[in-house]
Amino acid sequence: MQAKSGTAMMLNSYGKRFWDLPVAVPVLSLLLSFLVVAVMAVIFGVSPGTLLGALFEGALKGRFAMASTVKETIPLALASLAVYLPYRAGFFNIGGQGQLQVGAISAMVVVLNVSGPPLMVVTLAVLAAMMAGLLAVVVPLLLKIKRGASEVTTTIMMNFACIQLVNALITGAMKDASAFFGTTLPAPEQYRLPEFTLGVTVHIGIFIALLLVAGTYWLTSRTTFGVRLKAVGSKPSVAEASGIAVKKMIALAVLGGAACAGLAGGIQALGVVYRVAEGWSKGWGFTGIPIAFLAGKNSLAIIPIAFMFAILETGARYMQFMTGVPAALIFVFQGLPVLVFVSLNAWRSSKPNKIER
Amino acid sequence: MSEGWLAPFLLATLRAATPLIFCALSVVLAERAGVIHIGVEGVMLAGALAGLLGVVFWGDAYVGILFSLLVGLILGLLLALITVYLPSDQVVTGIVFNIFSLGVTSFIFRLAAEKNAAVQALIPVMPGSVFGLSPFMVLALVLTVFMWWFMFRTGPGLKIRSMGEDAHAAHAAGINVVITRMLILTAAAALSALGGAALTIGWVRSFTDNITLGRGFIALAAAYCGRWNPLLATAACILFGAGEALAFRAQAAGEGLNPHYFLMIPYLLTLLVVAVAGKGRAPADVGRPYVRR
Repeated sequence: MQAKSGTAMMLNSYGKRFWDLPVAVPVLSLLLSFLVVAVMAVIFGVSPGTLLGALFEGALKGRFAMASTVKETIPLALASLAVYLPYRAGFFNIGGQGQLQVGAISAMVVVLNVSGPPLMVVTLAVLAAMMAGLLAVVVPLLLKIKRGASEVTTTIMMNFACIQLVNALITGAMKDASAFFGTTLPAPEQYRLPEFTLGVTVHIGIFIALLLVAGTYWLTSRTTFGVRLKAVGSKPSVAEASGIAVKKMIALAVLGGAACAGLAGGIQALGVVYRVAEGWSKGWGFTGIPIAFLAGKNSLAIIPIAFMFAILETGARYMQFMTGVPAALIFVFQGLPVLVFVSLNAWRSSKPNKIER
Repeated sequence: MSEGWLAPFLLATLRAATPLIFCALSVVLAERAGVIHIGVEGVMLAGALAGLLGVVFWGDAYVGILFSLLVGLILGLLLALITVYLPSDQVVTGIVFNIFSLGVTSFIFRLAAEKNAAVQALIPVMPGSVFGLSPFMVLALVLTVFMWWFMFRTGPGLKIRSMGEDAHAAHAAGINVVITRMLILTAAAALSALGGAALTIGWVRSFTDNITLGRGFIALAAAYCGRWNPLLATAACILFGAGEALAFRAQAAGEGLNPHYFLMIPYLLTLLVVAVAGKGRAPADVGRPYVRR
């Protein structure tokens, strides 16, 4: 592939510089997507500037807005790790949303039923969340490794099964009897994630997220484990032949990723919403997918991209309130860049073939 | 349960199953040709909105259906260009397409509601029902049989299946894989959109943001459960429809098992079938982008 894009470079020496930069395709995708959103804003009778202004104002202006945007970044970053890490090993984990949901409910089970020193209970709850996320991927993982069944199917199925299970629990066994809708009891105050103020007030989940993203970067690009993982992801048969325990590597990456998704749910439950109720969750698990793909080869890019997506999520309501443009427009902003991104990438890598023919 | 519950229950089952059947057939069609059709959810959503808008703005259910089909064809062509012609990863494309479609349909719905308030009201019941069976239900069942016959009893069907098993071998046998897969995916998307129209025009008679609520994924489950066989896929849809009808009933009765457990059935059943069957019967080449060597 490298050699082929070399051909393309020679044919167009002007375009080579920008085209070859790793940021070229992401930047182009974002610009093109912005253009589409701008056109949609104009159709709605709002100037694109006003629209973006409202979006950013809603997400970043004032301590409260800024804090919610930073807090929103955390589950997004963790959920995208849940896609990123398994994908390195060639496993497409679409089950992030389900893993996140069972993670959240498991953390709630712990804080509502265990009492003891807060540090112990919270740690236990966070571990339970990771464990639940991990368990939610075990069936797809086994089916992939033992039966060769596509994880795309099975993780999607697990998503919906997990979501329905959580719905069943919060409207049934774990329901707060005094509420009119399905919800758990609130987490006791001493068992919520501690907060701190550094300009804005956020909970300590931010450190966990930053640490895990940095750890993933280190693991994938600075260790032999990372090199092996890449080998497994790109050519499993070659990896197997060179003595790498392929199945074990896949299992480690997938379980680690799913634990991150479970963690995202647990952190969100104990750090932000404090109770798991009907419709409590945005689609963080799904949004993690485009974030992971936009980040591409460099997992550190997850943080800024997750922050950008968080701006969209928190600014959307204010944007709708100020301009009347429906908040759902942000889904265009979240889906379209990746659609353009994969298309441009595919087009770029297939172009030399077309020239040769 | 009171006397005479069976007929209404069967009708509710079929009503819930009909949108699923169209979508499951579309998944079977696309994946038999070797293209994963995760975008079924997004196309169904767009088809649902297009159908409703067609009815509101042109005042006729059949125009609504045609409009929905047209939107399905256009989106199918878009998906085909990206996943077959370029070709990019089918799963990533499908998933982000679904997110994109959610945004666009919600946006267009608001826009249309500003132009004509009737968009937010109930549309009339579709004419042409016989014994409570809407034309959609009949069409779904007829299409199922037709699809089975086409896939397993005709030459073109065989060619399509061969593409799903090994695209390069199909190419060697003289089939233009890229063009055929594009055509198939476009047709499949039109079917998915029809499933959406069956939801809005044939059943709910209104639109809300994300009205499909993962039904496209249930259809995906049904197609896998039915091992990519149209007859079995439709049977799975009817079974899942019964689950949904039971859940409604349980919800209305307010007692007994939590309805959410019923709603888990399609997914768990699919997992079970996958566990038992493994790779068996799955089109071998599905999901692999075809690049001419």
